[in-house]
Amino acid sequence: MGVWGSAVVALFAIIGTPLFVVILAAAMLGFYLGDVPLTVIPIEIYRLVDTPLLLALPLFTFAGYILAESQLSTRLVRVTEAFLGWMPGGLAVVSYVTCAFFTAFTGASGVTIVAVGALLLPALVEGGYSKRFSLGLVTTSGSLGLLLAPSLPLILYGVIVQQMNLPNPFTIQELFIAGILPAILMVVLLTIYSIWATRHVELKSEPFNRRMAWQSLVAMRWELPLPVIVLGGIYSGFFAVSEAAAVTAFYVLIVEVFIYREVSFTVLPRVIREAMVMVGGILLILGCSLAFTNFLVDAEVPQRLFEWIATYIQSKFTFLILLNIILLALGAILDIFSALVIMIPLIVPLALRFGVDPVHLGIIFLANMQIGYFTPPIGMNLFIASYRFKKPITELYRATIPFMFVLLFALILITYIPGLSLFFLDR
Amino acid sequence: MSALKKIIFFAHRFEDGALVLALISMLLMALLQILLRNLFDSGFLWAESFLRILVLWIAMLGAMVATREGHHISIDLLSNVLKPGFFVPLRFASLAFASAISFTTAYYCIEFIGYEYIDGTIAFAKVPVWVCMSILPIGFGVMGLRFLLTIFVKEN
Repeated sequence: MGVWGSAVVALFAIIGTPLFVVILAAAMLGFYLGDVPLTVIPIEIYRLVDTPLLLALPLFTFAGYILAESQLSTRLVRVTEAFLGWMPGGLAVVSYVTCAFFTAFTGASGVTIVAVGALLLPALVEGGYSKRFSLGLVTTSGSLGLLLAPSLPLILYGVIVQQMNLPNPFTIQELFIAGILPAILMVVLLTIYSIWATRHVELKSEPFNRRMAWQSLVAMRWELPLPVIVLGGIYSGFFAVSEAAAVTAFYVLIVEVFIYREVSFTVLPRVIREAMVMVGGILLILGCSLAFTNFLVDAEVPQRLFEWIATYIQSKFTFLILLNIILLALGAILDIFSALVIMIPLIVPLALRFGVDPVHLGIIFLANMQIGYFTPPIGMNLFIASYRFKKPITELYRATIPFMFVLLFALILITYIPGLSLFFLDR
Repeated sequence: MSALKKIIFFAHRFEDGALVLALISMLLMALLQILLRNLFDSGFLWAESFLRILVLWIAMLGAMVATREGHHISIDLLSNVLKPGFFVPLRFASLAFASAISFTTAYYCIEFIGYEYIDGTIAFAKVPVWVCMSILPIGFGVMGLRFLLTIFVKEN
């Protein structure tokens, strides 16, 4: 019965049944077979209420949706262009930094490609970069910044792991700090690659212009304090994460609606609604996965999985290789939120047994997912870029592949040098 | 517009409104707490619980609207590969399954809320837990109904 039931649930999963339904069905099946009354399911879903951190999700998402609706992308490109554009490979650096910043705030929903990529692509081509290179660069950058606070997947990883009451707890702040160096590493490696790849190309380069730089800063003066509010507030411990989210949301609302007046009052309900539909979907999956995780733990699934794997694999490093391969494959077929809720309850206990730090694991996990965003055949950002730039998807496959190898190299470094993630932490 | 359509139209607007209102209340309440704490070293005792319950309400209301628009996150490996002829029956099966699971969940939510009602536990201020939980059966019930109705509505 268990085998058949699981097969049916898996079948429904791959034909496109909403993920929360699939997870609920799996949990129900498990509890039913284990003679646990199904009233346990509402109890588990209601546990959403026990996590103060979750408050940050709707608030940050709301802020991100408003920012995406405003002209922040234009101002951001101007500022980075003025300050970084003069460097060798300047425009490429501009793209990476802008996208990373934008994605951190908007949570890698593909909006980076639509909002920022669409501005950068013509600029890159005009700057002398080839069409294909520019296309690859912009598509790759669409998920850059996933490791930086306050990106949604990063917070979600923290929330899910904290729910599991592991022996090796960590704070969201630690997770936020851990992402900084790996994110910088990715930008640096991509920049080096860009300079190398375009070494034979005549690139236009603007010398640094103090007036332009100043003007661009003035234009963005209201948004410049944002990283300080979010990062400064959280990293310094002045705000709890959920408080920083509330302050960010309020600040963004005031700035974009009343000061820049780029998001009008009349569109506000629509923006809020869209943001909350996205968050609601994720939160519901999270709630249902609480029930499912409970079943997994009851049935000692992670333990059995560990015992099974431990008969083949003894070393931490072999385990990490296997982990990367599995996560890359999953990242290519699952969207990041599904991957997080399905895989974390299984992988985290396993990784802890192999001696992997949970903070480091989070960074590895998200770095894999970041690459998954543009891994053929169905990485989400490939489709978004294909749709937005009206290019066939196969052209995007070819354009992104060199960048993918660069980030795979970064992934290897991030995986096997835990210090990159844990350097600033006392772990 | 027929009466039924009107009712549905207003129900949708009500749902959207509740969702938007939930976020606005969350934002205002969270800000108020920060202000009270930092300026006056005080705050509402119940605010924390209220905020957390709003998270649950946003989850359910947002998911209800997502169901209306077919915006749920799903894995969906096959629909890109399959011939259109297979696609329709699979979609029916998937919707029927989603509807059945949602209704089952709603049923157990109601059962559990019954126990909570008898217990009369207080969630925050004077609001009992069962009131806070009421969004669960409502949400799953509405989603179950929507999945079911979508079977009979032609996809655009």
